[in-house]
Amino acid sequence: MSIPLALILIFGIILLLIYNSLVYKKNQVENIFAGVDAVLKKRYDLIPNLVASVSRYMEHEKGLLAEVTHLRAEATKPHISDEHKIALDKQLSSALGSIMVAVEAYPELKANENVIHLQHTLHEVEEQISAARRAYNQAVTDYNNAIEMIPTNMVAKLMNYTRKELFEIPQNERKAPDVKELFH
Amino acid sequence: MKSVSELTDFYYKALYPTLERLEKKRKALSHRIIYSYIILGTLALLIGSALRELFSDSPDAIGFFLALLLAIAVFLYKLLSKGYIEQFKKGVMHPLVKEAHNGLEYRCDAFISEARYEASELFSHADRYGGNDYISGSIEGVKIEFSDIHAQKEHRDSKGRKSYSTIFQGVFIVTEFNKHFSSKTFILPDSAQKSFGDLIGSWLQSKNPMRGELIKMDDAAFEREFVVYGSDQIEARYILSHAVMQRLLEFRRKSRHPISLSFVNAQMYIAIHYGKDMFEPSIFTSLLKHSLAMEYIQNLTLLVGLINELKLNQKLWSKHE
Repeated sequence: MSIPLALILIFGIILLLIYNSLVYKKNQVENIFAGVDAVLKKRYDLIPNLVASVSRYMEHEKGLLAEVTHLRAEATKPHISDEHKIALDKQLSSALGSIMVAVEAYPELKANENVIHLQHTLHEVEEQISAARRAYNQAVTDYNNAIEMIPTNMVAKLMNYTRKELFEIPQNERKAPDVKELFH
Repeated sequence: MKSVSELTDFYYKALYPTLERLEKKRKALSHRIIYSYIILGTLALLIGSALRELFSDSPDAIGFFLALLLAIAVFLYKLLSKGYIEQFKKGVMHPLVKEAHNGLEYRCDAFISEARYEASELFSHADRYGGNDYISGSIEGVKIEFSDIHAQKEHRDSKGRKSYSTIFQGVFIVTEFNKHFSSKTFILPDSAQKSFGDLIGSWLQSKNPMRGELIKMDDAAFEREFVVYGSDQIEARYILSHAVMQRLLEFRRKSRHPISLSFVNAQMYIAIHYGKDMFEPSIFTSLLKHSLAMEYIQNLTLLVGLINELKLNQKLWSKHE
């Protein structure tokens, strides 16, 4: 075999490996996003029940509850983009957080078993969402690194791959949660 | 749960009469072992010189003779020290474990079953398996069991001679984990990244198809110490929240030995690679020596304190039901 032919062959193999690794990374991001979607859906399923349980007591937070319901409706619409879902999730997280803080002001709600149960379930789902977000961010980071680093970036350009957005991890999730305080 | 200083007090106060009695036995035993080895050595020399001609013809015979000598020496050591070791475990270890936490049971001759060892999927199949110092019970409502184990692999050379190499020797812990999970997650000491640096190390780590996918964690200190594999990227992070990663690092620091963990079938398995038997009485140094007492006590409090250290007693809501 002549040397130029061998070089072309090696170059071809390298190109193939790069192509495959990029496809793998893109698929990894999509697979994990499907997982993120599944846990987000768990949370959407909890919202109607939560809103129904607290709305009788929460006179001053009607606007907040309406916002949560609206965000949920928006997020469960079919065919919305991943970026839009990420943005909605951020708004929903903060709105739900505000409701949870507001619950503290209503002694009847704090003692209501249904609400307590919902709070705990929501907390568990939040932990799962946090894990899913971290997994997604890692996959996206690997993907973004690949499409920006030499030499994979050249192939990525040809394949029209573009950067993907990360989930913002709320600051309070970085701290160790005090589970005891939450449960007692 | 008692603290290290409380247990040290217990060791030197409540156990003092027992320790004194055992100390006399220990001294007598160490003398017996030395004398019997002197006799064995002299006998070996006599037999060796008598069979000098045979040995000069066949090097295999020398090998056989030396192997036999070694086997006799090991057998003698075990035979002579057996009673003393049993008395130490009954008289010292048993009350010490009870004092550390009264919800615990101690059995010196039992060990974590081989089925559990296999179920952890941490190590390869063992051809020879044994252990001792089995401690089990419930601490703050969480079931835990641990023991020393020694798992070995059998090798045969071209002549069919058997030999054994160690797969794992150290403490093996089985306990319930406080979160639901259905995937498998493995956390192993990170040797590749430490010895080959970040770039080549992480490339080497990604090549471990037996364990599942490599899972990169978003905690730099944790990543330096461990490498994580698993069958589910999301669930592995659900198990290893930032808080759990920090607690595991702290546990690793306190154990002062490499640790491997696996999360399989709702159980958490931890293997501490001590490389020796724990809780064995000394024969050639005094039982009253402070450093020895501290070794027993620190190891025990580390293991008994595991539940609190990892906050496994703080169960998730749905795990209560």
